[in-house]
Amino acid sequence: MRPRVAYSFPEEVLEHVFSFIECDKDRGSISLVCKSWYEIERWCRRRVFVGNCYAVSPATVVNRFPKVRSIAIKGKPHFADFNLVPEGWGAYVGPWIKAMAAAYPWLQEIRLKRMVIADECLELIAKSFKNFQVLVLTSCEGFTTDGLAAIAANCRNLRELELRESEVDDICGHWLSHFPDSYTSLVSLNISCLGNEVNLSALERLVSRCPNLQTLRLNRAVPLDRLATLLRGAPQLVELGTGAYTTEMRPEVFTNLAEAFSGCKQLKGLSGFWDVLPSYLPAVYPICSNLTSLNLSYATIQSPDLIKLVGQCESLQRLWVLDYIEDAGLEVIAASCKDLRELRVFPSDPFGLEPNVALTEQGLVSVSEGCTKLQSVLYFCRQMSNAALDTIARSRPNMTRFRLCIIEPRAPDYLTHQPLDAGFGAIVEHCKDLQRLSLSGLLTDRVFEYIGTYGKKLEMLSVAFAGDSDLGLHHVLSGCDNLRKLEIRDCPFGDKALLANAAKLETMRSLWMSSCLVSYGACKLLGQKMPRLNVEVIDERGPPDSRPESSPVEKLYIYRTVSGPRLDMPGYVWRMQDDSALRIS
Amino acid sequence: MAKEGLGLEITELRLGLPDAEHVTVVNKNEKKRAFSQIDDENSSSGGDRKIKTNKSQVVGWPPVCSYRKKNSMNEGSKMYVKVSMDGAPFLRKIDLGLHKGYSDLALALDKLFGSYGMVEALKNADNSEHVPIYEDKDGDWMLVGDVPWEMFMESCKRLRIMKRSDAKGFGLQPKGSLKGFIESAAK
Repeated sequence: MRPRVAYSFPEEVLEHVFSFIECDKDRGSISLVCKSWYEIERWCRRRVFVGNCYAVSPATVVNRFPKVRSIAIKGKPHFADFNLVPEGWGAYVGPWIKAMAAAYPWLQEIRLKRMVIADECLELIAKSFKNFQVLVLTSCEGFTTDGLAAIAANCRNLRELELRESEVDDICGHWLSHFPDSYTSLVSLNISCLGNEVNLSALERLVSRCPNLQTLRLNRAVPLDRLATLLRGAPQLVELGTGAYTTEMRPEVFTNLAEAFSGCKQLKGLSGFWDVLPSYLPAVYPICSNLTSLNLSYATIQSPDLIKLVGQCESLQRLWVLDYIEDAGLEVIAASCKDLRELRVFPSDPFGLEPNVALTEQGLVSVSEGCTKLQSVLYFCRQMSNAALDTIARSRPNMTRFRLCIIEPRAPDYLTHQPLDAGFGAIVEHCKDLQRLSLSGLLTDRVFEYIGTYGKKLEMLSVAFAGDSDLGLHHVLSGCDNLRKLEIRDCPFGDKALLANAAKLETMRSLWMSSCLVSYGACKLLGQKMPRLNVEVIDERGPPDSRPESSPVEKLYIYRTVSGPRLDMPGYVWRMQDDSALRIS
Repeated sequence: MAKEGLGLEITELRLGLPDAEHVTVVNKNEKKRAFSQIDDENSSSGGDRKIKTNKSQVVGWPPVCSYRKKNSMNEGSKMYVKVSMDGAPFLRKIDLGLHKGYSDLALALDKLFGSYGMVEALKNADNSEHVPIYEDKDGDWMLVGDVPWEMFMESCKRLRIMKRSDAKGFGLQPKGSLKGFIESAAK
């Protein structure tokens, strides 16, 4: 009969404790504990990540999290990067900007990836958020330099403006002049994807009057003979992306450049280097030993010069490079870059029928054996073997991301002509923390059995030209407990595995299947069976129900959502639930 | 004497005189036979090189993002030509626009193929096992060094460093013609 008194921390204390929790997943878990924690958490949430812009509506986000300061949103499927998603598919950011403009006057940061953003949206951003500081656009499209001019003119507290690999309609190079003369808060500027010349005088004035500028990534059109002036105006730079790295041979240009680079004591990252003239590379040698990040993946530097440059960067943690690095260069890296964590090797001639460089599996083996901290690999090559993959797996069990692209589809082990199942099997078996995997080469269902058995922490899997039957897909969907994104193309996976694992799809962010064997009938059944999934068939040939139900659909995109059908579907996207509804009516 | 003769031929070709036409016809006939021989050799040496028929490109493969493709395509504005060397397993690409003359080219080829005897080819021309030749825009194979650098740059489509024994079959004159190349390299 004693009264029961429940004690808990005051809301202020909990709010303070929650402010130290930054991981999205942990935040999500906190909000599930009880109703009061849900309420406290939603009011003190400052940072929101939306992994799929159609998974939740802007109104839902705004209602649940009233005080957001920073938002990151992703749009199109990853395969849009490779032209597998048709034009006009969607991922328009307009509705999001409008909702946030009304609800979040104090929003400071917007990061978008694979979204379509019009100038009107940029203008709305520029006028709506009183303390706007960060705009990062990665693989975005739809805007012009007019939109950038609005941002420059109106965002007085802007710290970061990053345009990464975006398609910009580059109308006018004078948009930089719209930064007011009194504006000095810039910390990061990335214009590397702009196509036209910028107003160099405006750029130089901007760079020299911003004392906190740390990152500057120029576009290709910035000439080499102006780089020294820019560097002298910002010797505090930490990361620099050059423009074109070629000009007429003039001794004073080299001298000025070498002196300017020597004056940049804080430089840790380099990128750019379009159109390299090898004679000018020695200008950067003095700062190479301090570099932790080097992105030469657009630099057409032939192997000897490239090896000489990279060989001087013994502190590298991140290296992106073209395959001109060759096996010999990777051996040099393996011997000297003991802190390397991430390596990406891109193809210089991806559509050539014959190898144009001496890059093989051996280069990747060397780096795996020599760089003990290597965690992340993206590697394009033309030959691979199970033995090499096994060596890589045993040498680098700490790998978390392994993306291998053997350029020829269905290429077998070049030594034994066997499938590469055993090699990739070794990767998933030994790399117990593997989160991301991209497969290529000749593969049977056996590799998927390995993945389903060992890939317990796998979150993203990319598959192409692989497998024998539905069993392969079944292994993945039933075995990979943490899978969030699965993208499949040109594989003989069909209805059985998909329908048998329908519940799994609700735990995933998205599934893309193109050029597979999933029938239209199965898609309809899935749509009816799983109301919280959007099952979208992409068919530019016309209505899928004009063909037999057993015929395979061309492209299929399935994602979980709490906001129901999207309102901006183009004509060639068919939502399976809608067809069902139409039937009823 | 030989140089003057070459000069005269070039002049005649440029002026388009009747004699030039005659010479052109003769040259074309000779070169076409040589070109056919190259084709034959490529076919016959199927074991050494994998000859692949044209394949239709698969959309979205290899997975190089479209942004990267667009930016790399600008490479077309440069003067890249492919270089192959008999016995070497890989092709190379070289940007002629970055080189000022034959000596620069020789140094670049040395860097690319040094391990395959290019150095010997340069130092000991008469006894070297390799001879640099190029395919011009008419499809004829010519010895590197026979024409002024600017003309070479304009007409060169691809380079090949071939074995001397094969060069004889082309009807090319390795001994005399290499002198220009070597002399340029020596400067």
